[in-house]
Amino acid sequence: MTTATDEELVARAQGGDVDSFNQLILRWERPIYALAYRVIGREEDARDVSQEAFLRAFRALPAFKGQAKFSSWLYRIALNLCRDWIRKQRRAPVQQIPEGVDPVEMASEGGPVESIEELVARKELSEVVSQAMAQLPEEQRTAIILKEYHGMTFQEIADLQGCPLSTVKTRLYQGLTVLRRHLERNGQMAPQLVKRS
Amino acid sequence: MTQKFECGDNAALVGYLYDECEPSERRAIEAHLARCAACAAEVGALSSTRLQLAAWTPPESDLGFRIVSESRSNVIRPKQWWHRPLPAWAQAAAAVLIFGVGLSLGIIGGGERDVTQSAEVVPASVPDAGARLIGSQLTPAVSRDDLAALEQRVRAEMSQMRPVTPAVAGSEAQLLARVRALIDESEQRQRRELALRTAELMRDVDAQRQYDFARVQRALGQFEGQTGLEFQRQRQDLNNLIRVSQRPQ
Repeated sequence: MTTATDEELVARAQGGDVDSFNQLILRWERPIYALAYRVIGREEDARDVSQEAFLRAFRALPAFKGQAKFSSWLYRIALNLCRDWIRKQRRAPVQQIPEGVDPVEMASEGGPVESIEELVARKELSEVVSQAMAQLPEEQRTAIILKEYHGMTFQEIADLQGCPLSTVKTRLYQGLTVLRRHLERNGQMAPQLVKRS
Repeated sequence: MTQKFECGDNAALVGYLYDECEPSERRAIEAHLARCAACAAEVGALSSTRLQLAAWTPPESDLGFRIVSESRSNVIRPKQWWHRPLPAWAQAAAAVLIFGVGLSLGIIGGGERDVTQSAEVVPASVPDAGARLIGSQLTPAVSRDDLAALEQRVRAEMSQMRPVTPAVAGSEAQLLARVRALIDESEQRQRRELALRTAELMRDVDAQRQYDFARVQRALGQFEGQTGLEFQRQRQDLNNLIRVSQRPQ
């Protein structure tokens, strides 16, 4: 059985088939939530933004002509909502820092192959990266998120951010440089490639 | 034809880093990196930073959005709210609220009767398990005889207050009977409703408790497994050390 493409599901949803739109939601809710969480840095607000993004997409579906990919269109809606959220907050995104290390929770997250030490290290690195990302200006942070975690091309990012392709590259370079310094300052040494003799 | 790469062209380096450049540009950059230690170090450091970024994962969140209904203003909601863990205080508050509403409905519907009375009058033959359960849990405080006496007293007082013609009295009696029947019917309905809601709530709370318990057990099991492995590894290391220390020099 072949899986329906986004375009097919969109066409059916535009014809009034709500289940098809629910399939699109199922397909895209995790990436959209991950995008919102990384951009705004708050779990609950990221959920709200994701929910609102799908609601807006559903309401605007009749006007969607398919010039862009459905996913790009959805990302644009979500990013606009994130931008609105940041403007409303008028402050840098606040990262949720856990109060303490919970080994039970971490053990349940990690699975049997990862040791406790590895889990703790990964959790710590995740926190440091999260804090470092929060230091970046919104444009740089969004460019890095779209590139690193959503695998978009420079051109797709440029379209979403409404800027020239060269600007995207500059934002990525500057953002990565700031992140590197922040990680080094916080004792996160970059992994080294070791040659085996 | 091979393109020329200018040292310090960061945009081109980013293209190379993400493997989004023309093959000729790539060759030019590779050739430059082979002889420029500074650029090679820069690319290496940025690649390492990218590796570290992979550690940043968003927390697990129970999403499950879906469009509920096309007609109801296209509401989008997380599905199956009752599958989501509710905090204990919310469960307790819900139970108290439902009980309070049921209680007040019973009082309003029952007029001068108290709660124990209204619970008591639930007939055992009512084909509703929940209603029977509620009725059997409460002890009657006032008997039917008491009620009948009270009714007679009220009738007597009413007749003394307003002398009426027999025709009007007859119609009032019918009206009273009808009102009483309506009140009884309403009470029974409310009691059944309350019992049903309470049973539903208890079932939800029980299901949630079992789910939480299973989750905690699973997490503990994994943790114990990992701790056990670690302990075993340490004991093995210790045995090795003892063996080595006992070996003749």
